[in-house]
Amino acid sequence: MSAAPGLERPQVVSHAQQALNYTLFDCKWVPRSARLLCLGSAARGTGLVQLYELRGARLELLREIEKPKPIKCGTFGATSLQQRYLATGDFDGNLNIWNLEAPEIPVYSVKGHKEIINSIDGVGGLGIGEGAPEIVTGSRDGTVKVWDPRQKDTPVANMEPAQGESKRDCWTVAFGNAYNQEERVICAGYDNGDIKLFDLKTMSLRWETNIKNGVCSVEFDRKDINMNKLVATSLEGKFHVFDMRTQHPTKGFASVSEKAQKSTIWQVRHLPQNRDIFMTSGGSGSLHLWKYEYPAQRSKKDSEGAEMGVAGSVSLLQNVTLSTQPISSLDWSPDKKGLCVCGAFDQTVRVLIVTKLNKI
Amino acid sequence: MPLWLREHSWYQTPTAVFLSLPLRGARATLANIFCSERYLKVSIPPFLFEAILYAPIDDTNSTAKIGNGNIFFTLYKKEPAVWDSLTLENADKEELQYLRENAVLKAQQKAKEETEAKKATKEEHKKYALEATMKLEEAERKRIEDLKEKERQKITEELELWKSQQKDADKYKSIQKEGELLQEIGQLKEGENEKMTKTRIPNEGTSKTRPKPTKGCHGSCSIFSPNVKEEQLPAPRSAATIKVNFTPRVFPTALRESRVAEEEEWLHKQAEARRTISADLSELQDLKEEEKNPDWLKDKGNKMFAMGNYLAAVNAYNLAVRLNNKLPLLYLNRAACHLKLRNLHKAIEDSSKALELLTPPVPDNEHARVKAYVRRGTAFCQLELYTEGLQDYEAALKIDPKNKYIEKDAEKIRHLIQGTMQGS
Repeated sequence: MSAAPGLERPQVVSHAQQALNYTLFDCKWVPRSARLLCLGSAARGTGLVQLYELRGARLELLREIEKPKPIKCGTFGATSLQQRYLATGDFDGNLNIWNLEAPEIPVYSVKGHKEIINSIDGVGGLGIGEGAPEIVTGSRDGTVKVWDPRQKDTPVANMEPAQGESKRDCWTVAFGNAYNQEERVICAGYDNGDIKLFDLKTMSLRWETNIKNGVCSVEFDRKDINMNKLVATSLEGKFHVFDMRTQHPTKGFASVSEKAQKSTIWQVRHLPQNRDIFMTSGGSGSLHLWKYEYPAQRSKKDSEGAEMGVAGSVSLLQNVTLSTQPISSLDWSPDKKGLCVCGAFDQTVRVLIVTKLNKI
Repeated sequence: MPLWLREHSWYQTPTAVFLSLPLRGARATLANIFCSERYLKVSIPPFLFEAILYAPIDDTNSTAKIGNGNIFFTLYKKEPAVWDSLTLENADKEELQYLRENAVLKAQQKAKEETEAKKATKEEHKKYALEATMKLEEAERKRIEDLKEKERQKITEELELWKSQQKDADKYKSIQKEGELLQEIGQLKEGENEKMTKTRIPNEGTSKTRPKPTKGCHGSCSIFSPNVKEEQLPAPRSAATIKVNFTPRVFPTALRESRVAEEEEWLHKQAEARRTISADLSELQDLKEEEKNPDWLKDKGNKMFAMGNYLAAVNAYNLAVRLNNKLPLLYLNRAACHLKLRNLHKAIEDSSKALELLTPPVPDNEHARVKAYVRRGTAFCQLELYTEGLQDYEAALKIDPKNKYIEKDAEKIRHLIQGTMQGS
């Protein structure tokens, strides 16, 4: 990469920030708006959902909703653009879908897991992709469950430890490969370093690997295309980018890994407008913006003639340290390129703008 | 003894005196010329020329040119006058001496002044340069800040624009909706029966069955079309389960590469400990098979402890230790028994042995280590060795800072220590 002078690279500009009086676990943009949601846990052990609107350089609180259990994660992924219902997972293992205009009673509610739901993802909504809207939750009880909001009480798919097997915490889940109505894939990362790829069309385990460090976050670069790339971040500052186009029968998917910083990489999020750019957030309160470059040839034949993927390379575009505490949640705005929100454990939510993304 | 140079030639104008000295082959540099207001000396070994000038000259502006085997002096007079001769003729020795010395002193002073002036100007220049660089850097910084500010402003404006676009779009949609709402209410009254039969899988009693414009309505569709649309979506998947096997990991904590070495060591130690069986089988021949298993004996001991039969528990643990003296839990539990039996020294010994065996410190043996420290601490306190006891409690707190019982006890011990110190 050419050594561009400092001001030619994308800059991460802090646009607005808001100090909160509760622990923030997740922050999400409300699609098609300049509003964002903060999900977390108040000091008295209840869950909080706050709706903010970005006005100028300030965040204005529009709404505050309190729920009995602390909320860990949320997604808009499985809801339509008109409804914009929020699906949340809380500390007690409950999956709820809320209509934010009438949040007293959830639109859908199920006690999905025995322990905290660590991660949630939705697919099929927001006008992206095809197929039924589905929500996947991963929990500390070691199971990954897929829910359809039209079916009460039972999951439509359940990935659980085999009989007699001791469970490992599932830390992160992500949907992918949802390019038509039948195909769908879920990637789950666990605390013992396992990454497992479940194919929902054949209801089987398609691929698994172990990256030697607990997996904090996985994300496909796009949910609604033939699976292209998968980024998995882990403890001890490492992340891996897997090329998902070519699966070798024994070696699986090719990958390139990068050690970014000494601390845990809590989140990875791809830019919705450019699937080769992603941002990682670290335990040292820093954000790194990366660009993936494809290799000249994405696949090659190995000695036995089987197709094998070739991983490209990752280059760092920019990094910035915003906080002394880990930045645990990150979300790009799907409507405005470069606008993103991040929440850190110093009880602050920050709205940032990343500039010059058009020039990359 | 230097040779006096007598052959000099000179001529004058009203303002200047021109003096020429032959060099006779010797090399001259400016260092050999000493000149002050009234005194001129040229010393080129072995020649020496000295002149007490008739009148003062301006020695700073006067020049000396060396070349062609001559030194040519151009001396500018301080007062334009005509000199009778170059030197002061009728000067006596003392005056000459005085003038010489004076000249030397004056020259020295001048040199000093010159160096000081030079220093001063140097400092000034430095300061100036520093200020100039600072200004430049400030300017650069400002420029960058300004660029950033401009970007920020640009982006803020774009955001505002986009937001207002959103608002307009929303307004437009809501106006549309209102228009259709009236339509729908009309349609609803006609098609209410139809709608009932068409209702799909009941959905947690949402407002779909109520004649309210729910968010499910979109643009120009009526209440019927969401149903139609839903039929276009595939039915919910048929439920299935996938069984999962995990990469085995003994520890309940997350896997970290940097800790793998320590964890391996601990596991290795544990495995070895289980394998060592001390000899001395002769005594143990009449024991049943299960009584030779240290784990079974440990369980037995735990049961006795729970029942309150501490002596029996100690016996069980003793036998277990004889069979396998590398299991830290045996010593730990035996220490608890000794505490109950008030064999405090033995309790301390056993807790210490347990702690020894519980290295390296991994999160896995945290509980055991906390217990060992607490038990040893209690024993020390009961022996009234409060400072040692407090040390152990604090070690326990370090491992498990959230434990309130340990904190409370540590506080109590601290008060006790302070009490005894004050009392004595």
